[in-house]
Amino acid sequence: MKSLPVKNLIRKPGRTAALMLLTAFLALAVFGGSLVVLSLRQGLNSLEARLGADIIVVPSEAQSKVSFQNMFLQGTTGAFYMDAENLKRVREIEGVEKAAPQIFLASLKADCCSVKIQVIGFDPQADFTVQPWIAQSYARELGEMDVVVGCKVEAGVGEILRIYDQRCKVVGRLAATGTGLDTAVYCNLDTIRLLLQAAEEKGVSHKVTSDSAADQVSAIYVKVKVGYDVGRVNTAIQGHTRKASAVRTRSMITDVSDSLAGISRTVTGLIGAVWVLAFLILLIAFAMIIRERRREFAVLRLAGMSRRMLSGLILRETALCSLLGGVLGVCAAALLAFPFATLIETALGLPYLTPDLRTVALLAAAAVAAAGIVGSLASAGAAWRLSRVDPGTILREGA
Amino acid sequence: MKKRVFAWLTLALALVMAVGSVTFLGACVHEDGSFGTCHWASRALLGIGILLAAQSGIALATGHAGAYLCMAFTAALGLLLPGTLIRLCGMATMHCRAVMQPAMTLLNAGILILALAGFLLETRRAKRGTP
Repeated sequence: MKSLPVKNLIRKPGRTAALMLLTAFLALAVFGGSLVVLSLRQGLNSLEARLGADIIVVPSEAQSKVSFQNMFLQGTTGAFYMDAENLKRVREIEGVEKAAPQIFLASLKADCCSVKIQVIGFDPQADFTVQPWIAQSYARELGEMDVVVGCKVEAGVGEILRIYDQRCKVVGRLAATGTGLDTAVYCNLDTIRLLLQAAEEKGVSHKVTSDSAADQVSAIYVKVKVGYDVGRVNTAIQGHTRKASAVRTRSMITDVSDSLAGISRTVTGLIGAVWVLAFLILLIAFAMIIRERRREFAVLRLAGMSRRMLSGLILRETALCSLLGGVLGVCAAALLAFPFATLIETALGLPYLTPDLRTVALLAAAAVAAAGIVGSLASAGAAWRLSRVDPGTILREGA
Repeated sequence: MKKRVFAWLTLALALVMAVGSVTFLGACVHEDGSFGTCHWASRALLGIGILLAAQSGIALATGHAGAYLCMAFTAALGLLLPGTLIRLCGMATMHCRAVMQPAMTLLNAGILILALAGFLLETRRAKRGTP
């Protein structure tokens, strides 16, 4: 008797497959949708952690072109420069705890790939944003022509990357951040200045405004002292720097957070709509199937099966079918969400970082359980009603 | 049709692979109009797709277990092509890495599983002596 639900499911493969597909659709919507929303949240947290500064000072042109924000979010290349004098001025402002420069360079088509790559030069002595991140994968100091690559640049440790015909040795690969920073290459200031020079020699002008690349920086990352108002320090920086804009990282994160909230609402709405629709379809489908099988159940009742046993049989059958469908749906969602994570990230244009395995496993288990519960609930009413009807009446109806 | 369900499915996937490798699942042309190795990987996948479609056709017509086995080996080769045997672009955000590689891996893995299932089914049928 225990194997009867399984036998029933095998006996009618078409019906079982149709019900499984319905619940698979439910699980796919829940698991896939939640995974995307979770990955976006994780990406936002990662962006917050990676920015690490309270204020970022960039040339006015970078701010107006929105190229700076796109560099972080979508990994687009950007090269803009301002007078390094601004760094000294920022450091002199009251309330500034640390100020670290970075120099950006957009490579030509690098030999590793067919796209431009962003090269970011930082000062290891002053830096407090990139260095802690790099230290996770490369503990030593970066030497001349040593580079560390983001996780989306396919170059292994020890490989040589040719940037503007200069041989740069890859000494480390960074952990994923889910942001545009994953497509960048990092080096120290000496290396980036050599690369800038090489670019100029190759006739690629990066519109460096001074005669010497040493007098230029692309961005200044500022950490505000505890107890000082970030807004006031930001205003002071705006007043003391030339041809530069100070951007509060909080406002950048708020912009991303707003976009994420919009996407979360849409995804949640879609999941809700799919669930309501699928639940209604399941309700109708189970009612029809149980009605169609009334004579079969009546025979079982006459064979000595109690009402409770009959309801249990129907519930076990639907729960099994729904759980299998749930597993199918989760697998289908995983097959789409994981291999195409980069495509999803690019399409959304927002930081996207897949959660760890434990979270994914919990999410998958919850989606399968939800599909099983919904399937069982949808059939519970029809099963209860059927168990109340007199089997003799059912059999006489068909006579 | 029911008897050769695995061959029909592999035929459908092989056709998606062949058409996709030169259209929506293929590698992009670089900004300067040049071709990278990923372009040749997509061309090789076109060949694998056509070969798999032909093998599916043979499996459909004859139901021979050997046709399924050939298909499994070809799909395994298809699995290794993008990224392992032929290097793709170095940036994970490029179309060949973000779309072509995962899509072709899924298609080849699907064909491999279906072909093995078809092989087992046809071998069992041959042992039983049922056509």
